[in-house]
Amino acid sequence: MMPDPATLGAILLMAIVTYATRIGGYLLLGDRILSPRMTAVMDAAPGCVLVSVIAPAFAAGRSADLIALVATLFAATRLPLLPTVLIGVASAAMLRFMLPA
Amino acid sequence: MTGMTQGRSMPVPERRAELARGLRASLPVMIGFIPFALVLGAQASAKGLGALEVPILTGLNFGGGSEFAAIGLWTSPPHLLLIGGVTMLVNCRHLLMGAAFAPYLRHLPRRQVLPALFFMCDESWAMGLADARLGARAGRSQPFSLAYYLGVSIGLYATWVVFTALGALLGPVLGDITRYGFDMAFPAVFLVLLRGMWKSVRAAMPWAVSLAVAIAVYLLVPGAWYVPAGAVAGVLAACAWARP
Repeated sequence: MMPDPATLGAILLMAIVTYATRIGGYLLLGDRILSPRMTAVMDAAPGCVLVSVIAPAFAAGRSADLIALVATLFAATRLPLLPTVLIGVASAAMLRFMLPA
Repeated sequence: MTGMTQGRSMPVPERRAELARGLRASLPVMIGFIPFALVLGAQASAKGLGALEVPILTGLNFGGGSEFAAIGLWTSPPHLLLIGGVTMLVNCRHLLMGAAFAPYLRHLPRRQVLPALFFMCDESWAMGLADARLGARAGRSQPFSLAYYLGVSIGLYATWVVFTALGALLGPVLGDITRYGFDMAFPAVFLVLLRGMWKSVRAAMPWAVSLAVAIAVYLLVPGAWYVPAGAVAGVLAACAWARP
């Protein structure tokens, strides 16, 4: 169970790089007065990141997954978080069962 | 965290209530984390990481996208330059996120902000920022609530570390959990977060650019490159379309 030194080294490197990205924006960019252009960028950035992270769901090759995603998207526009998650999970499970790949 | 003092400190009961409010708010996202954590742990154990090494990785790094990418590229011994470079690329969005956070953190001393930023992931950041914007609209004198953000963070961090470790232990037994549909919890959470950020079709145009580029890169390039590629493309579009 002793951790392997090479693995630990890679993990430490990842941890340092990631923490640097977390504090870098606050320390280096935070005190600037931002231009309207920069403000527009900052306003759009969170959505851009979130939508990129879930892009694989939109690229699913399986019709069951895409139909479930549309149902989830529909739910997300009008329901709170928990019902949306439940609808997403339930519709994906049911459609995958009904429409095998 | 109980020993924390701050200039305009809120009373302890209020801080505790804010912490609990954050924990409650993070609950649906915690549920969304579980399948991903289990899958990551299982994938890491398949790459030869031990049941102790997995929580060390997820506890020290705490960045799901970079962990999936790194595990996908993991060799024995791991290639440091590759792992470090991919981690940087997947997580460089944190720079923008931290900068967007900074105006709301001005009233807090660095010795509180720097540890708190360790827990900044897409979800805790989005929730903290959304709450601060609501607070500003409601006329809260200090729109950003550190206790609320930490409540969100504690819930998400504990879930991630515990369930990635569990995934490493269960890895071989677990099989394919996408069969049960739990993986759809993640897009569901993100879509609801996006709805909360929605302002107008015009303001959402960069998101469409991000989505299109991320899908294309996901289909064409192996690994997690689609995240930085999509994010950067959308941000560039927002920059180009901004009214001067």
